[in-house]
Amino acid sequence: MCPLCLLMLLLPLLSPAAPISPAGPISQAYSLALYMQKNTSTLLQTYLQYQGSPFSDPGFSAPELQLSSLPPASVSFKIWHALDDGERLSRAQWAFLALTQHLQLVGDDQSDLNPGSPILLAQLGAARLRAQGLLGNMAAIMTALGLPIPPEEDTLGLVPFGASAFERKCRGYVVTREYGHWTDRAVRDLALLKAKYPA
Amino acid sequence: MDIYLRWKRPSRLVDNKRMRTTSDFQWLLSTFVLLYLMNHVTSQRKETPYDLKCTTNNLKMWDCSWKAPSGAGHGTLYEFCIDNRSHSCYQLARTNIEIPALSHGDHEITIRSLQDAGSSTSEFILNEKNISLIPDTPEILNLSADFSTSTLHVKWNDKGSVFPRHSNVIWEIKILRKKSMELVKLVTHNTSLSGKDAVHHWSWVSDLPLECAAHYVGMRCYVDSPLFSGHKEWSDWSPVKNISWTPDSQAKVFPQDKVVLVGSDITFCCVSQEKVLSAQIGRTYCPLIHLDGENVAIEVHDISVSDNSGTNVVFMIEDNVSGTVVFAGYPPDIPQNLNCETHDLKEIICSWNPGRPTGLVGPRNTSYTLFEGFSGKYIRFKRVEVSANGSYHQLLFQMVPNQEIYNFTLYARNPLGRSEATILVNITEKVYPHTPTSFKVKDINSTAVILSWHLPGSFAKINLLCQIEIKKINSVQELRNITIKGVENSSYRIAVGKLNPYTVYTFRIRCSAETFWKWSKWSNKKQHLTTEAIPSKGPDTWREWSSDGKNLIIYWKPLPINEANGKILSYNVSCSSDEETQSLSEIPDPQHKAEIQLDKNDYIISVVAKNSVGASPPSKIASMEIPNDDLKTEQAVGMGKGILLTWHQDPNMTCDYVIKWCNSSRSAPCLMDWRKVPSNSTEVLIESDQFRPGVRYNFFLYGCRNQGYQLLRSIIGYIEELAPIVAPNFTVEDTSADSILVKWEDIPVEELRGFLRGYLFYFEKGERDTSKIRGLESGRSDIKVKNITDISQKTLRIADLQGKTSYHLVLRAYTDGGMGPEKSMFVVTKENSVGLIIAILIPVAVAVIVGLVTSILCYRKREWIKETFYPDIPNPENCKALQFQKSVCEGSSALKTLEMNPCTPNSVEVLETRSTFPKIEDTEIISPVAECPEDSSGAEPENHVVVSYCPPIIEEEIPNPAGDEAGGTSQVIYIDVQSMYQPQVKPEEEHGKDPAGGAGYKPQMHLPINSTVEDIAAEDDLDKTAGYRPQANVNTWNLVSPDSPRSTDSNSEIVSFGSPCSINSRQFLIPPKDEDSPQSNGGGWSFTNFFQNKPND
Repeated sequence: MCPLCLLMLLLPLLSPAAPISPAGPISQAYSLALYMQKNTSTLLQTYLQYQGSPFSDPGFSAPELQLSSLPPASVSFKIWHALDDGERLSRAQWAFLALTQHLQLVGDDQSDLNPGSPILLAQLGAARLRAQGLLGNMAAIMTALGLPIPPEEDTLGLVPFGASAFERKCRGYVVTREYGHWTDRAVRDLALLKAKYPA
Repeated sequence: MDIYLRWKRPSRLVDNKRMRTTSDFQWLLSTFVLLYLMNHVTSQRKETPYDLKCTTNNLKMWDCSWKAPSGAGHGTLYEFCIDNRSHSCYQLARTNIEIPALSHGDHEITIRSLQDAGSSTSEFILNEKNISLIPDTPEILNLSADFSTSTLHVKWNDKGSVFPRHSNVIWEIKILRKKSMELVKLVTHNTSLSGKDAVHHWSWVSDLPLECAAHYVGMRCYVDSPLFSGHKEWSDWSPVKNISWTPDSQAKVFPQDKVVLVGSDITFCCVSQEKVLSAQIGRTYCPLIHLDGENVAIEVHDISVSDNSGTNVVFMIEDNVSGTVVFAGYPPDIPQNLNCETHDLKEIICSWNPGRPTGLVGPRNTSYTLFEGFSGKYIRFKRVEVSANGSYHQLLFQMVPNQEIYNFTLYARNPLGRSEATILVNITEKVYPHTPTSFKVKDINSTAVILSWHLPGSFAKINLLCQIEIKKINSVQELRNITIKGVENSSYRIAVGKLNPYTVYTFRIRCSAETFWKWSKWSNKKQHLTTEAIPSKGPDTWREWSSDGKNLIIYWKPLPINEANGKILSYNVSCSSDEETQSLSEIPDPQHKAEIQLDKNDYIISVVAKNSVGASPPSKIASMEIPNDDLKTEQAVGMGKGILLTWHQDPNMTCDYVIKWCNSSRSAPCLMDWRKVPSNSTEVLIESDQFRPGVRYNFFLYGCRNQGYQLLRSIIGYIEELAPIVAPNFTVEDTSADSILVKWEDIPVEELRGFLRGYLFYFEKGERDTSKIRGLESGRSDIKVKNITDISQKTLRIADLQGKTSYHLVLRAYTDGGMGPEKSMFVVTKENSVGLIIAILIPVAVAVIVGLVTSILCYRKREWIKETFYPDIPNPENCKALQFQKSVCEGSSALKTLEMNPCTPNSVEVLETRSTFPKIEDTEIISPVAECPEDSSGAEPENHVVVSYCPPIIEEEIPNPAGDEAGGTSQVIYIDVQSMYQPQVKPEEEHGKDPAGGAGYKPQMHLPINSTVEDIAAEDDLDKTAGYRPQANVNTWNLVSPDSPRSTDSNSEIVSFGSPCSINSRQFLIPPKDEDSPQSNGGGWSFTNFFQNKPND
């Protein structure tokens, strides 16, 4: 069922861009973000479960771990609220672009560390596809709103390849965690836009 | 003193490791002490040079020095002379000199100081033994570190060129750690000098990662020259060199991503600028070992095997965390069960079991390389995380052309080690062919087919062994092995013979090489029907003459499938004699009988079966029956499913024996089946599914002689005998006062179900109802049994019976299968009439005489009686009325004058009810009379005529249910007294009164109807509710009653006389037509009915 809904949600990507009302893409992006939101904690739990103690210990949390290449989702409410649509969307766009690339990296890392864990690898792959889908949806919104779409960039750079296993585990943790945070934020972003551009 | 000190120091530093040299030093000690004393003697005065000491660092030059004499100032000159063959002297202005090494032996040395004040001379004896060999301080050329492996590499030059001779050198290397220079390692390293300068390397692996602390290395050496007899000493320590790591700004933990053996000890350290709070491996916290700065380390002992993603080691730093992952696992196990085989002689498949899991995955997983020794080829095993073949791994190796012997070595390697397994195979002996495909079957003829199949593989050089499985329906499978020449990737064909025509076969095939290793898997199954052939035999034939003897009926059996060889379409029958031939052709298959009208000539009948291919050979049978005069019918009983017939061999019987049989109850011609047995056999077990137990069959044994059949034996038999299902029908032919003649009929054969072995006749005294209660087989002594084994006997006279007694007669037949059911009858014997008449006449006569005597007496004394009882003037004193109490019941009619109540002779005393049990006295039963309560309510007691009436109630054989018993209180039967007293109350009322205990009187014959079973519970109820219960058991009372029915039979037909109502059955025992006949109220029976006997049918 899930691949099917994903396909349905990805469908607007394929249709040629046309001057349409932003309400449609916003609604679709919102639905996708809501759907993603349901799976983020599962992804994080699955990921941690495969990394061994202390990652797999109940209640594990290391908020001090951050990745310089991945912008954190946390933002003060005041700043967030003051953002205009373009800025809001372009930040989310950038974040999900980075997340897509980082999820690919984490998937590669885990196929080395946990090659015999198809569940984890499948969940990471699915998360990456959904992030890509949301990116597409956001691009459609920006097109509809007449905003410039930021170019795709390499967010990872050269840094990550020599990382130790521990670093790879940590960055996987940060990526899966931030994926959840950014999804939460995207739901808020899109809810705001949805209210602003009703169908 | 100085020398002593010099000796002493090295001995301490050598650290007692070189105990061998200690004895040398002791020897040297004594030598030097002696030398010292000599010097001391010669330079007692300090005015001369003294204290000459010589050392060497290369054995070529000696470096000698001495102490200047007192008073010697700057500018003093010395003359140093060596007194040897060439007396050489050296003028010098210092107190030391370097001289070439002197030869062995003592050398006299003269040192003369030339000073202003004059000269002084000292003489010394110099020997090589007095010389100390102190090598130059070594220098570490290079110290480098491999941080990834925590290895230190030390490089130095031994400066061997300065030593003229080959010598062994001992290097002592010390490793110091941390800024506080803690000694962590002191090792010795031996080399030898080659006469040239050589650079040496030495490596050391640190337990602590080198990143975490500075490491320092220093060294010194000791030259152990065997030819030098002098004193050898350690060189000075070289200056230390250090290795340190420049940390990043970020905290880092070392070693990173290390793979270690399970159970080993490992030290992790964290390089940090900030304070480290704690450290843990997995979930275990470890104590911190502080290093330089904020760096810390932890030691982990006996590490356990890691998860797939490794074991995490985490150091908690203030507001940060740092860590590393360690992978603890095992080196690869030796590959187990390495086996190489080929499916097609093109590719070799080597498979093995990796053995113990290493605990390492991903890039750390074991890599396998398969190497072939003769060809030098190798292939690598691609990593599979989840092996498709269970725990087995396998590799495909392309065969080398024209190579049959392969020497495979499988190398397994992972970061912790390597292992290998080898196998030498002749690959032609390890052929495990693929499953044969395209398996087909083609007909050759009715008994042979061609099988073809395809088998991929280059088998041109070997022979193949194939196994064909041939399976018939309902038959055991047959396996045939064949060897065929292998071919290159092609199809194979093979003929399979010895099959049966028109048979469904299932074929499948598998192959292996001729040098057997493994069978391939079975091919698909192919079902095949072989073609038809002519029937191999004629049908089994028999003939019977029809009942009128005009027609011959020919029977034959359908051919079994293995003889029919196809679908039988029709039969041809022909009868031929010398004169004529009759034939019936094309009788379609399902018909297996033909009738031909023939005269009584001898015919030969032949029957031919035909299928689509052709006709069977004819089966012939003669029509003639040879008569047999001495033919007796025998009996036989089967065993189990069949019946065994035996006979004596008759040499006249030339062809065969035929046993035919039929159900004896069927009409002629009698034929169920027949069976032919060869002429040499003397017994046959006839079995048939049609046989049923308890059914009589006729068996006829025919012998075949001169083309004619003779009936030899006729046997009736049962497969299994059963008990008869009916009882013999029997009647009473005649009855007298002391005997009964019984006659019975035969039981039909169908109902007999076995050979009749006899009859059992039981008789006993008894009436119908009572006898039924008890079983016949209870072995009671009063039952008489007669076993009639003469089955032709059809009558039986039972003698010595009592007259006028009811007898219960039972007859049953029996076979070996058991007893049949019983048939019973009740017969009452006739009375002995003479005795009866006498018995009646005597009391009548006595009564008449008594009456006459009384009348005469009364007549003669009439005056006295009148005076006494009826005086004209009554005398009050004679009045007996005042004595009423005494004589009230004396039956005198004189009491009438007192107008007393008439006194009834049956002194029934009516009492007031004081208790639930009314007092009853002296009740005399004279005649039981059935009284129907419905009728009695309105009747007057005085004019009541004893007419027993009962509604016609159908007799019930079964015991009355309990519900009837309760109602039984309404059917009170009470016994008349003289006055034919009847109860004045309705039974219902009486029933109602009973529990209250209000009834002053109860008839004694207050009996429940239920007579078959004594219901104790009901009796108890009666005890409680009514104050009275019957004194006599109804059964016994009934038995002794003279009013009981004379004869009844089991069908409950009533043979009766008199008019009493049966107490138990509530029914007149006389037929309704007799209802109007006069009834006797005295004895309950009458002469008119006395001899009535209604024989039952």
